[in-house]
Amino acid sequence: MAWKRLAFIFAVGVPLLAVLAYGFTRDPREIPSPLIGRPAPAFSVRLTDGGEVKLADLRGKVVFLNFWASWCPPCRAEARALEASWQRHRGGDVVFLGINMQDREEAAREFLREFGVTYSNGIDGGNRIAIDYGVWGIPETFFLDRNGRITYKHIGALGAETIHAKLEEARQGVQSRREGKGEYQSIR
Amino acid sequence: MREIASGLRCPVCQNLSVADSSSEMAREMRALIVDQLRAGKRPEEIRDYFVSKYGQWILLSPPPRGVGLVVWIVPTLGAAAGLGGAVWLLRRWSRRKTAPLPPPDEAVLARIREAVQAGDSLADLTPEEARQVEALRELQFDYRAGKLSTRDYEELRALYESRAAAALADARRQRREAEALGPVAAPAAPAPPGAAPRGWRWAAAALFLVGFGAALGYFLPQSVRARGDGSPTGDFLTGTREEAARAEAPDLPVLLQRGRQAMDAGEWDRAIGFFRRALEVDPDEPTAHASLGFILHRAGHSDRALKSFERALARDPTSPPALWGKGLVLYESLGKTAEAIRTWETLLAQEISKEDRDHVLSILADARQRLAARPGPATRSPR
Repeated sequence: MAWKRLAFIFAVGVPLLAVLAYGFTRDPREIPSPLIGRPAPAFSVRLTDGGEVKLADLRGKVVFLNFWASWCPPCRAEARALEASWQRHRGGDVVFLGINMQDREEAAREFLREFGVTYSNGIDGGNRIAIDYGVWGIPETFFLDRNGRITYKHIGALGAETIHAKLEEARQGVQSRREGKGEYQSIR
Repeated sequence: MREIASGLRCPVCQNLSVADSSSEMAREMRALIVDQLRAGKRPEEIRDYFVSKYGQWILLSPPPRGVGLVVWIVPTLGAAAGLGGAVWLLRRWSRRKTAPLPPPDEAVLARIREAVQAGDSLADLTPEEARQVEALRELQFDYRAGKLSTRDYEELRALYESRAAAALADARRQRREAEALGPVAAPAAPAPPGAAPRGWRWAAAALFLVGFGAALGYFLPQSVRARGDGSPTGDFLTGTREEAARAEAPDLPVLLQRGRQAMDAGEWDRAIGFFRRALEVDPDEPTAHASLGFILHRAGHSDRALKSFERALARDPTSPPALWGKGLVLYESLGKTAEAIRTWETLLAQEISKEDRDHVLSILADARQRLAARPGPATRSPR
């Protein structure tokens, strides 16, 4: 009887504990994106300089798509690296496009002025583009290859090395298996 | 709309549905759902749209397919098992309760009734018999006092009497058996069967505790993520980084060198640990303050970075890294170009390597150009 009871307690308790332990090792805030490797959702966005850009028009170019807001500290942290990378890659077949979301337009313009951003930036008024891209923790950055396919997604601040490496991969159409994560995010 | 929204997880909240969250993101998701419904989309289509963007994660209740099936089945199984177990236990208990008593022996019954009525001392009865007789007497007393109905009294009396008779018969049988076995064997008998399982139980409990402790010790540090200064436990639970720095590097130059190495390797939090430790040794160490300033500046905390550089300069007004960093913050983050230029001019007056000097000169040229191109508040920016 004692043996049976013991065996029963172990048979129930050990798997339960194992599940609990496994759960503790996982990050409940991780949202693996199903979009990597898929065609990027189409959009057209109003730019801060008054123009308008359609994603379809950027076909044939490698697109660096960065979602940001002026109130987000990691966006500030990466802003210089982004501009520096743009200066390094501009003129080629690479397009940098910032999408401002969850923000006030004046604050966004002030941010662009402060960091001397020279690449195009669009204002995503209703966050529709962001939802279309499954954005949840800004900054989030998508790398698109020439065929408009998403090759890589990065959550959190980006460094110049990562940008360079992933642009190179996108140029060759190499697709990452999963998204990357910066050490610094605004929402966890 | 509510039905769809309450089934979706708000991506910027902690386990709130899109319907319940007041965040801007959730508000816009609700607006999107309304628009889609107006456009004639079916609820499943809208749900599928969100799943295609955020994955299964967005659904508050996973679909009963694949791995998701487990979370639907296990609770059902658990509830069924619990219910079944409860029914089984109840039936076992009720069976034990209704176990029929042997029909009382008339002679014994007569003796009990006599003992109850007699009202004299119970000294000549065994303790069990005395207890039953006592109970019968109390019952009789209660009945006479009018606390019990006649029917209840009859029923209870019959029960108590049969119990008393059974106890009596039992006691007699035992006495007879004991006499047959001899007086020595009886008390030794019950000890051994209880001892062995108890030992096992202790061993199992100890094993379980040790296993649990080991699992906790292994998984807890893995599962707890490192936080910044805000955490009450600091890095204590997550690998005791500062502890390690303390043990490894006891003196100031080594700490500073390690910090610089960590900085070069991009391990910012480790670098911060080393510099903080250096500041514990010497609270005004200019190199440590300046290095922390660079890290803060990199992280976008311009004000705190500036404060760090100022502290470094308070101790050593000619510290080249602090002058360079202060200029950088003023120029890049705060837009105080004129002040930055002044700071860098001070830096150029120090002894620095030719490489550094050229770099400073080129940035300085940029800054002067910018100042000239954009006359405004920056030119007048007073100290």
